[in-house]
Amino acid sequence: LPEVVAGVGAAGCVLVALALVFRQAPLLPPGFAAVGAGYAVYVALRSGGVDSRAPFVAAAVFCAAELAFWSLAGRTGLALRRLTLLIGSAVATAFVGSLLLTVAAESSGGVGLEAAGVLAAVTLLVAVAWLAKPRPVP
Amino acid sequence: LTRAATPKLAAYAGLAALGLLAALAARLPELVVAAAPFAVFTGLGLLLARAPRIGADVGLGNDRVLEGEEAEALVTLDAVIGAERVEVLLDVPRQLEPVEEPNPRTIRLADGERRELTYRLRCTRWGAFAVGRLYLRCEDAFGLYRHETELDHRRPLRVYPTEESVRTLLRPAETQVFSGNHVARQKGEGIEFADLRPFVPGDRVRHVNWRASARRGELWVNEHHAERNADVVIFLDSFAEARRGEQSTLDPALRAAVTLVARYLRQKDRVGFVTVGGMLNWLLPGTGAAQLYRIVDAMLDTQVVLSYAWRDIDAMPRRTLPPHALVLALTPLLDDRAARALLDLRARGFDVVVIEVSPLALVPTARGEVGELADRLWRLRREAVRGRFERAGIPVAVWGEHSTLATALEEVSTYRRYARALRA
Repeated sequence: LPEVVAGVGAAGCVLVALALVFRQAPLLPPGFAAVGAGYAVYVALRSGGVDSRAPFVAAAVFCAAELAFWSLAGRTGLALRRLTLLIGSAVATAFVGSLLLTVAAESSGGVGLEAAGVLAAVTLLVAVAWLAKPRPVP
Repeated sequence: LTRAATPKLAAYAGLAALGLLAALAARLPELVVAAAPFAVFTGLGLLLARAPRIGADVGLGNDRVLEGEEAEALVTLDAVIGAERVEVLLDVPRQLEPVEEPNPRTIRLADGERRELTYRLRCTRWGAFAVGRLYLRCEDAFGLYRHETELDHRRPLRVYPTEESVRTLLRPAETQVFSGNHVARQKGEGIEFADLRPFVPGDRVRHVNWRASARRGELWVNEHHAERNADVVIFLDSFAEARRGEQSTLDPALRAAVTLVARYLRQKDRVGFVTVGGMLNWLLPGTGAAQLYRIVDAMLDTQVVLSYAWRDIDAMPRRTLPPHALVLALTPLLDDRAARALLDLRARGFDVVVIEVSPLALVPTARGEVGELADRLWRLRREAVRGRFERAGIPVAVWGEHSTLATALEEVSTYRRYARALRA
């Protein structure tokens, strides 16, 4: 179903483009989520083992997200420093991704590991919600 | 300092959580790889986040500048704990335009670093301003948190109006007792020849007119007019103004007032200042550079305050309007109360001169039959006010867009010469 993959991915790209054109930051997460969903559909439908290109896809999506937020921030200055950080992040993403894929390929999984994963995701959301609350700094 | 999360934090955390949950649900390790950078980035950002501690100070290169000139503001930032990205916004009034350099500015401040930022501000309009309110917005390298603070280090900046070019000033009808630059009617020590009279013991030999003495066979001496100073009171009408955008009748009136004050003070006259309007304000006449700054500082606080209450000029101390003072009024003739006050002064024997700062250029064009009728009536009323002044012996000169202050002053001088000849 390449049409489904293309459709979901294109919808994500359109959302990101709209966010950039109309400078609407809230449109960016759904856009990147849709791009990720497109990739998920592609991976789910493909036959064979683990997709070895996943680290590069992750690096590309992450770089696109960083650049999009940078663009929406609309500020100039410190471009070189920020670009260096971005390239470093992309390389680190690819490296960590490859490492994760290797671990995933060797791991046998299980209920305990899945429960730990769910717990980690939920904890992350709760922690972020708590930390994101505006407060005066002492 | 207030801390707030950026939209990026919520977005990355959401994407990371969504990716991890989707990976678990669909059993796709690739999605973990896709979500991992967002999760790692968020985690690192939260772990390494720290509140910056930045002190600031604002100094002004010169706290007194002329309209049209540039003032320099020096912002010193002292970071105990720095930040990757610091946006510095210097809050400046709209009359002060930053030149070349952007505002806000983005810089990086390392721990313990001290940085000086210079802002050049072009002063486009006169006035008294306070410059130095700073807004700092700091972001860490991850851009997940934003720390904001407002620092108030305001310093006064006084922008003086530029002077108009004037060749000659109005001569007061009466002079005072102190020496100055005006030729008085009284005889005394001076340069200007007044009369001849026979020599009396005690006269100085240098005053002997030898030609007249030779012709008459006895000693005759020259008499001279004394050179005295005068009292001048600048009367500024701030009851109402005509305004269109940035242009107002108050601006040229103030520029003219500054010009006249500076020029009269330069020729040793005593100059006072009276603002009549919603707020009554006055300064006793004085001389010297200190008086100039005193008056100009008082002028900078002048603004048109709409008020229906009006205290009579009796409310002012008597010394504000010394006897025989020349009262130079700058008015747009938009409010009858100012006209009444000037007629009152004339009735009390003051030498009153009115320079009308014409509001006609700032008045919108009348449209329609009713509009045109109203415009004609309004102009007729202004003519009537001028007529009242002229009947009271007050010269009125119009200073509009097609004339200069020098022309208006010359017009008044001509009127006074003509009136003197008529009286004679």
